Amino acid sequence: MTAAAPATRGDRLYDTAASLRLVDNELRAIGAEVPAAPAAPAPQVPAPQAPDLRGRLRALLDAPAEAPVGLAALPLILERVHSEVHAVLANLRDSRAAIESATVENLQRTSARLQEVTSATEVAATDILDALDRTQGMVDDLEAAEAADDRTQSAAVRDRMREEIFGMMGALQFQDITTQQIAAAASVLGDMEARLLQIARLFDPNAAMPGGGGTAAPDPRTFDPNATTRDASGRQALADAVFVTRDPAHPAAA
Amino acid sequence: MKFLVVDDSSTMRRIVVNSLQRIGFGDTVEAGDGQEALARFDDSVKFVITDWNMPNMTGTELARALRERGEQVPILMVTARSVREDIIEAMEAGVNNYIVKPFTPQILKEKIDALLAAAPVGA
Repeated sequence: MTAAAPATRGDRLYDTAASLRLVDNELRAIGAEVPAAPAAPAPQVPAPQAPDLRGRLRALLDAPAEAPVGLAALPLILERVHSEVHAVLANLRDSRAAIESATVENLQRTSARLQEVTSATEVAATDILDALDRTQGMVDDLEAAEAADDRTQSAAVRDRMREEIFGMMGALQFQDITTQQIAAAASVLGDMEARLLQIARLFDPNAAMPGGGGTAAPDPRTFDPNATTRDASGRQALADAVFVTRDPAHPAAA
Repeated sequence: MKFLVVDDSSTMRRIVVNSLQRIGFGDTVEAGDGQEALARFDDSVKFVITDWNMPNMTGTELARALRERGEQVPILMVTARSVREDIIEAMEAGVNNYIVKPFTPQILKEKIDALLAAAPVGA
């Protein structure tokens, strides 16, 4: 027997399926040789392709030409099937740990990202509602200042109102960042979908996602997987430090 | 002085443009990605403010393209990316300064003022 290249999981599954088909064909062929009972005609089975089948069996078992085939070869075939199934299971066990670890880690990261989306949305909504409350109070102040014909006070209140409105607009920056966080989560889900399909195809080469198509993955150029609303001042300080470190004369050093 | 504001998020473009108007820079032109920015860039643009992550052409690719054309216009990156390696990559692409999102108008003003002071450009 010549040394063969290590079989992949796919090869082993394919060989196992082929072996099982051969066993099935052989059993059908044997069944076809048994005379049918007159009261119940035997179902039509395809004509056994004996010469080809025997050759394939011998090749599959690496058996010499004089080795038994047919029913006599069944124990050998079943032993081969058994060992192939064992090899496939061992491979699946080996890869399971890696798949589990990668999947769990990805899911945890994605879950944390989505929780941050919820949190960022809530913080922004609260900030805007607080600003609206303050602005409503300023409208009262403005009315009072105008009633008293106090132009200085009116101007001051209008300035504060502008600040509040401007602050509300700034709070909407969360939308850009949460869009990126959701895109990153969608990307992870698309990746997991592809991995699951690969695993499904180990068992059924025709496996496909329901509906025919997979999830459309977002363009990776359009989002930062690490985008966050947190610690903006700390991250800004890092950016400034990097610019200054690499270029001491940089304006950020000022 | 005309500012070119580049971001694929229309919300962010509005926020940046509004912030610019508030600090006295009302002349702006907008683009949704680097390619559109290159198409809209001309001699009248004196300052570029760009996001990083965009379809078709990213902010760093835009910066490289402008520098390869010999453009000396100040480029300010405004992005959610804040990993050290990213910041260095932006610098190497030709970005002059860097603002991390979410930003305050004060930071925007500081960075613009510092860049204009360091490399005065015609209005």
